[in-house]
Amino acid sequence: MAGASGTTSAATGATGSRRYPIRDQIAIVGVSSTAFSRDAGGRSPASLACEASIQAIHDAGMTKADIDGVVGVAEPGAPRANQMAALLELPNVTHHAGPQPVAMFGMIDAMTAIFSGQCDTVLVYYAFMRAPWNSRSAAQDPFRRYVMMGGGTAKPPMPESMDPSAAYTAWASRYIHEFGASREDFGRIALNMRANAMQNPKAVMRTPLTMEAYLQARMIRDPLCMLDMDVPVDGADAFVLTTTERAKRITKNPIVIHAATAGVVGRNDEDQLPSLARHGQHVVVESLRARGELWLDDVDVFFPYDGFSIITLGWIENVGYCKPGGAGRFMQEHWDEKTGRVLINGRVPMNPHGGSLSEGASRGTGHLREAVTQLRGDAGPRQVANARTALIGCGGFFFNSQGAILRRL
Amino acid sequence: MAEAVSDAALVERFPWVQISHDNKHLFRGWLDRQLLIQRCRDCKRFHHPPKPICPACWSGRLEPTAVSGRGVVHLAMFLRQGAPAPGVDYEKAPHPVVTVELEEQPGLRFTSTVVETPLDEIEIGLPVELVWIDRYGAPFPAFRPPGRAAKGGR
Ligand SMILES: [Zn+2]
Repeated sequence: MAGASGTTSAATGATGSRRYPIRDQIAIVGVSSTAFSRDAGGRSPASLACEASIQAIHDAGMTKADIDGVVGVAEPGAPRANQMAALLELPNVTHHAGPQPVAMFGMIDAMTAIFSGQCDTVLVYYAFMRAPWNSRSAAQDPFRRYVMMGGGTAKPPMPESMDPSAAYTAWASRYIHEFGASREDFGRIALNMRANAMQNPKAVMRTPLTMEAYLQARMIRDPLCMLDMDVPVDGADAFVLTTTERAKRITKNPIVIHAATAGVVGRNDEDQLPSLARHGQHVVVESLRARGELWLDDVDVFFPYDGFSIITLGWIENVGYCKPGGAGRFMQEHWDEKTGRVLINGRVPMNPHGGSLSEGASRGTGHLREAVTQLRGDAGPRQVANARTALIGCGGFFFNSQGAILRRL
Repeated sequence: MAEAVSDAALVERFPWVQISHDNKHLFRGWLDRQLLIQRCRDCKRFHHPPKPICPACWSGRLEPTAVSGRGVVHLAMFLRQGAPAPGVDYEKAPHPVVTVELEEQPGLRFTSTVVETPLDEIEIGLPVELVWIDRYGAPFPAFRPPGRAAKGGR
């Protein structure tokens, strides 16, 4: 399977050929989530972030004094890293930062800070709140009025502005034009996520979904409908990262980051993107293959981002599971009728937690959390047998494409 | 000529867009019903959206250059909900938004709406030309298939 990835590996030659001293050197030793909901019931993002952070620190068997780095991802409404240090009264912080969403920017910042010696152990947290502009119920909450789209004070967009969310729909139109994709090809992404979310008590969307229901769902921006777009939630995820060396001393089950990367192309303004054949996902795949030594043949569980269904179709193709335009057919060929979801080669599930479409819009932290949970063997009824390696394709096409390979030592 | 319009007056004519020193020429051009795209005097490449330098060769010698506005629809979507604008009623009909690849340079694209055209005729590959409509009392560049009888803006 790895050899079939065509264009992606050729540019950088053999895997593992690039200087990458951080490979396997940083481990995730703590993980926690508040669970997601469509109404956290009068709680602030700071409250949710505190709950997840404290649980993650406890999960790592650590205390305040162990945390000397804090990375708070700049989600709208989320507390900044220095504020989190104050919320938890952390006494020894020597690194704090506030990277942009999506999930890997926070993880990579923490990794590099630890590896370089800026600190030894980092709390990374992500807090999400439904915003007045993406949730009708949130618009009723006066305490959310301050949350602006994109976190800024920009003027209201015009209908023709190519903001990222609209741009995914626009490029979905191009995908349909170039490959003749059907609505069912997009629908299978939604069905896969929903079937998986039904096994995840933390997910918000757990009622069964049929293709008929997908095809009848409200169109938001043709060609995409409501079920092609992730579901806004309140919630928080948190992680504790430290050196693999220390992780081996404090846990019998360290999960290490084999490789992680971001990737953008030069022309990443949404409507100026070179093409569906050349964008951030391609850079990510080339980077992961050059920096890591594990690839599709080794992967036991696959986490393609699904903020919009078109992004997932892109990841399936761009990591090399199939040719460009082939994701719809690939999902049909690898569809498990019994569970109503994708099982690649009858074995590898795709977002077993339900993804952003059905677990909730966590900008990829759900993918990261579930990867750690699966590799630890803690996923309960949805556990993938003997999961040792996870591949995460995070973010979309434009400015936030990222990826990671995680593995159990 | 809109060159005479002061920066302050320009901002007042377009209260609904974020005007900066990097894109002010674009909106001055709208007042003259000209689509001015930044072009590099050194390497001759166009770029859009407007940037303070030529991203290809890093020259700062940029010239706002009128383009024909002719091109081909590269991306097309139809909004059932979205930001408000005069003449846009999402309840009545989906609002088309297209990205047009301009004939001046491969990959040079401009995003706007399509007017005077049945929705089912708006698709990727459709040749279009520029047409100026009114928005909040200022000219606004839109597209239509060439040869349509002008029926005014909507
Ligand atoms: Zn130049």
